[in-house]
Amino acid sequence: MMHNYLYLAIILFCLGIVGVISRRNVFTVFMSIELMLNAANLAFIAFARVHENMDGHVLAMMVMAVAAAEAALALAVVILLHKHKSKLDTNVFSLLKG
Amino acid sequence: MFADGLFLGFAVLAVLGAVGLVVFRHPMNGAMSFVVTLISLAGLYALLSAKLIFALQLIVYAGAIMSLIVFIIMFLNIQPSDLPQEETKLFYILGGSVVVLPIGLFMAKIVKSLPKSSTEIVGNNFGGVKEVGLLLFRDWLVPFEIVSILLLVSLIGAVILAGKRGTTK
Repeated sequence: MMHNYLYLAIILFCLGIVGVISRRNVFTVFMSIELMLNAANLAFIAFARVHENMDGHVLAMMVMAVAAAEAALALAVVILLHKHKSKLDTNVFSLLKG
Repeated sequence: MFADGLFLGFAVLAVLGAVGLVVFRHPMNGAMSFVVTLISLAGLYALLSAKLIFALQLIVYAGAIMSLIVFIIMFLNIQPSDLPQEETKLFYILGGSVVVLPIGLFMAKIVKSLPKSSTEIVGNNFGGVKEVGLLLFRDWLVPFEIVSILLLVSLIGAVILAGKRGTTK
């Protein structure tokens, strides 16, 4: 059943949102964003299977490439912030707050 | 029937791993439970007969990206005192769930209105390397090249951000 895959994608996406808005650890927030990307991938591939059309697979590969680029940049930023403040708390990183 | 059992097992593992990611205090525990989620998602892709994406999920996601994250977590040598004090974490998670629940129910309602269709394993090389590759290089060539430029830009950005801090300061 295609519906079960889509329900699972919804559950994973909502868990990712909860992780982003309720946790303060930088790494957990970052991995929650990755979780949301994966939920979107699952929906893409479920729809690709339903329509027997492989465009969804190509889009999933694009999402993976974007996730890899995001991981490289985000981890560089985390290292930089850890060097400056030696903390991993998102509440500490408020330089742009004004 | 067998595929239904596999789906149930992978789905339960994926949800448990995601819950662990949100709940665990140390990021290393969260990363390990997120790896469980990624591997069970790879199993689900195999059940949806996406062979290339199954391999890519294991190699690129669970292999490369997660090992990069785990490497950085170990590189920073996080002590328990470095972690943010989150005494009200469970309260926030409950509040976040209350906020997100209507969105999830709305999306579930949309999914319910879709026509039913089966997802049995299909043959004739659906999702194989050759078929997806032909599609990628015929219909999706320009997005593919743009993604390569994106990766190059992020590579340069990471080198500039994380490299040679000692000399510029």
